[in-house]
Amino acid sequence: MARLARRPDLLLLLLWAALVTAGLVALYSTTHGPAAEFLPSGVRDNFARQFLWAGLSLAVLGTVLLLPIRFFQSMAYVIYGATVALLVLTLAVGREINGAKAWLYIGSIGLQTSELAKVGAVLAVARLLSTRQARINTVRYALGAVALILVPTVIIILQNDMGTALVFLALVPVMLYWSGLPVATVLLVISPALAGYLTLVYWPAAVAFAVLFTTGIYWHTREAYMGALAALFTGGTAAVASFALAYVLKPYQLARVLSFTNPEAEAYRKTYGFHLVQSKAAIGSGGLFGKGFMQGTQTQGAYVPEQSTDFIFSVIGEEFGFVGAALVLLLFALLLVRLVRMGTECRHPFGLMVAAGVAGVILVHVFINIGMATGLLPVIGIPLPFLSYGGSSLLANTLMLAVVLNLHMRRDEFSIFV
Amino acid sequence: MIDYRVRARIFVGVIVLLLGLLVLRLAQMQLWQTELYAGESRSNAVREQRVMPARGAIYDRNGVLLVDNAPAYSLLITPRYFDPKNIPLLARLLEVPDSVVANRLAQARAWSAYRPSRVFTDLPFETFSRVVENLYRLPGVQYEIDQRRRYHTPARAAHALGYVREITRAELEQLRDDGYAMGDRIGKAGLEKFYEKALRGVPGRAFKLVNIHGQEIKPYRDGAEDVPPISGYDLHLGIDYRVQALAESLFVGKRGAVVALDPNNGEIIALVSMPDFDLEVLSGPIDPETWRYLITSPEKPLFNRATMSGVPPGSTWKPFMALVGLQEGVITARSTIYCPGGYLLGTRLFRCHGGAHGSLDVREAIEKSCNTFFFTVMMRLDVNTLHRWAQRFGFGRPIPMDIAEQNPGLIPDSAYYNRRYPNGWTAGYTINLGIGQGDMTVTPMQLARYVAAIANGGTLYPPHLVRELVHPETGEVLRPQLPPPEHIPIKPEYFQIVREGMRRVMEKGTARWVQIPGIPAGGKTGTAQAPGGRKDHSLFIMFAPYDAPKIAIAVLVENAGFGATVAAPIASLMAELYLTGEVATTPQRRYMLEHVLRQRSQPLDEPTVTQAASR
Repeated sequence: MARLARRPDLLLLLLWAALVTAGLVALYSTTHGPAAEFLPSGVRDNFARQFLWAGLSLAVLGTVLLLPIRFFQSMAYVIYGATVALLVLTLAVGREINGAKAWLYIGSIGLQTSELAKVGAVLAVARLLSTRQARINTVRYALGAVALILVPTVIIILQNDMGTALVFLALVPVMLYWSGLPVATVLLVISPALAGYLTLVYWPAAVAFAVLFTTGIYWHTREAYMGALAALFTGGTAAVASFALAYVLKPYQLARVLSFTNPEAEAYRKTYGFHLVQSKAAIGSGGLFGKGFMQGTQTQGAYVPEQSTDFIFSVIGEEFGFVGAALVLLLFALLLVRLVRMGTECRHPFGLMVAAGVAGVILVHVFINIGMATGLLPVIGIPLPFLSYGGSSLLANTLMLAVVLNLHMRRDEFSIFV
Repeated sequence: MIDYRVRARIFVGVIVLLLGLLVLRLAQMQLWQTELYAGESRSNAVREQRVMPARGAIYDRNGVLLVDNAPAYSLLITPRYFDPKNIPLLARLLEVPDSVVANRLAQARAWSAYRPSRVFTDLPFETFSRVVENLYRLPGVQYEIDQRRRYHTPARAAHALGYVREITRAELEQLRDDGYAMGDRIGKAGLEKFYEKALRGVPGRAFKLVNIHGQEIKPYRDGAEDVPPISGYDLHLGIDYRVQALAESLFVGKRGAVVALDPNNGEIIALVSMPDFDLEVLSGPIDPETWRYLITSPEKPLFNRATMSGVPPGSTWKPFMALVGLQEGVITARSTIYCPGGYLLGTRLFRCHGGAHGSLDVREAIEKSCNTFFFTVMMRLDVNTLHRWAQRFGFGRPIPMDIAEQNPGLIPDSAYYNRRYPNGWTAGYTINLGIGQGDMTVTPMQLARYVAAIANGGTLYPPHLVRELVHPETGEVLRPQLPPPEHIPIKPEYFQIVREGMRRVMEKGTARWVQIPGIPAGGKTGTAQAPGGRKDHSLFIMFAPYDAPKIAIAVLVENAGFGATVAAPIASLMAELYLTGEVATTPQRRYMLEHVLRQRSQPLDEPTVTQAASR
């Protein structure tokens, strides 16, 4: 059994620790800076709370490492079912914070169940796609995976947490691509998202995209039903999105989406554009080396709303400058690349799929979060993994790393062909 | 089997691409556009404030604190950041109706939505601290602790000290370059105005980090760019607050002025002008009723009578006439003049009072206040000689001193009479100048300076309120810029003769009832005709002690009758308090005190003699 005694991947653990530490440093600055006395006392305890959550997450990570390798694959659907059940429970009895009914309270500890649902979704999709027999290239698997993801997504949309829902949707192309499905199938499945985004920015572009995409798919596959599906997915999405923009979205959601296109406009500046203007001012004014720990004027003046949660990157950008911000990005890059490598080292489809899913989830979070903090993307309320204040997010992300660590550590136990 | 290594490479490529994109974006913002964002963040979070220095305090001649600063608590609202839902909360904390807060908020918004406006000023400390404790619930509300003047003694000395109020728009236009800003307080009268520059100090600057709610959270860059304010100088006055307060209380129901000087250096010991006003009231928000009274009352409370009201000196002029007569050689120490009860000039008799004095020398003439004697002296002089000597005694010209509001008074010369009486004039027009009546006016300040010169043997010191300016932090002492004392070219023995005459006034003459127990003094009463048929002005000049004078006083009580009746006891009581530290409780002094308190100036709204006669 000596071959089972591989050590957990040290680099990944170190990267985890570095990122969590960076988050705690930034959080400390927002809660214990010179302006701390002006904060409500509850906010000041956030640092200690997050510290406890980090400890708890580490303990969970240790526990997960002890589990047998088969556990995850065999329990994937069970875990998925449990997390979906939690989502439903949250929808029923959860507590609403900032307009999103996403928190389930056990005593005084709040749990954002949508974070945990990510773990379930990654495991379930990995399980589904890894059982696919080679050479059976059907759209069925792809649609199955999409369905597995859509179930929690819809519940989360019902919870009114659009940001988290978006992350789930972004999981689709990553996992499909990784699953080895033909490119046309993958593109087909993700085309609605692209069509939707283009509708948002400039609807004629969406129409043009729908036409080109349909033509392209048909030309590539020479299958009439693929062309029909392509036309339906892209054109249909554009139509539905246009309708939603005009009639369904609530004003604040619309404002949030539109503020992205012009954050300087007065009307948006005072609502959601305000986040952006302040966050950009914080990051931009950081310069090369930053203003120094607990010296950031934007941070200490609490100008960036949600600066300890969704906008924690503005603290790093302001107080530690380009050097600090780029270092955090480097840490993320190393973490992601390492995750992908660990996946391929597993050489088992389930391990590969889980690692890719985890890397995909984290990549989407990092890109959207920092993209919004720097004004590249609209303001979408999702946390920066490992750094943002919030126990559920830290716990869920650590849990996902722990699964990959476990699978990688025990990779020799896998038989390569299931 | 799919080649995962290829897909892994593509995945890694995507990761590097996306994160690389973010790094490029960061580089763009933080390396190339950092100036832009730095400016944005600075204008956002850094607020420049002026730090007002402590205005100098004012002390009396014994170091008793007269004026210093009390904190004035104000609340400022930036309407843009103030949530109207908080109006009831703020109103409850301030204990005012909601509508008051709503109104002030509307006014503030009309002025500027983004700039903080001072909406509640001069709040009581308890109210203020209650609001400050709840500031975290009131975004958009800030406070400011400002200074207002606080007065410590019962002496008001309103005209001497002057007051401090918010700068007006017109003043601001003029003084913008001197670092004044909207809402600053500035000296408007008296010493506060005269020494504005020294009292004010130099404002500093502070840069504060402000959080999103407008609360100051800490100094910007730990105060590295701050400029500390420089405090103003403290003023140390010659005023003795006890003497000042006594004089003010003796003036109840009267109009007029008192000036008391130290004859050895010109320091002002007391300066009273009545009616006066409450400096405390003038340094805060004034209600329109009070303001209308101050501005339009015929009693002119803002008018500094001590330096601005010109009245004929009456018989207090006679010591001057004696000195000029002696120096010009028209009389001698022993020469006598016969008083038959008046002076006959042509066919007109200029009457003396109290019948015929008979033959008297200059000392007796002063003691008895004989008009005939001084008519004669006047007739032996000419009006231009008199004018020249009066100027040497400081009459008829402004006094170089630290009170800007002055009336130079009127001492006529031949040019004046030529102008005034183009058809010709005679001695009959000028003979009254010999007894301090006619076309002449002097101010109480000029009278006090003159009696001080008699007391010290001919030195005309510049009167001044401020002895020295002391910087509270460095201890640096500045002396006020005073013109050199002027010497009156009259022989000392002539001054001695006049002083003896004035002593006899106190011991045997018109003012004997106001002798200070145990302290010999010199004095002279005066009763000046008032215009408009009103009751005469009551005047008195005095110095004490006789041998080594320490105080010289001039008192004017308008429309109150004989000099001996009203003005003299006021001077006597002031001198006694100044020299002995108390007012003796003998029955005679008590009677005098009660007598003075009962005296009244004839009210200005009472019909005058001529008005009554014309009815």
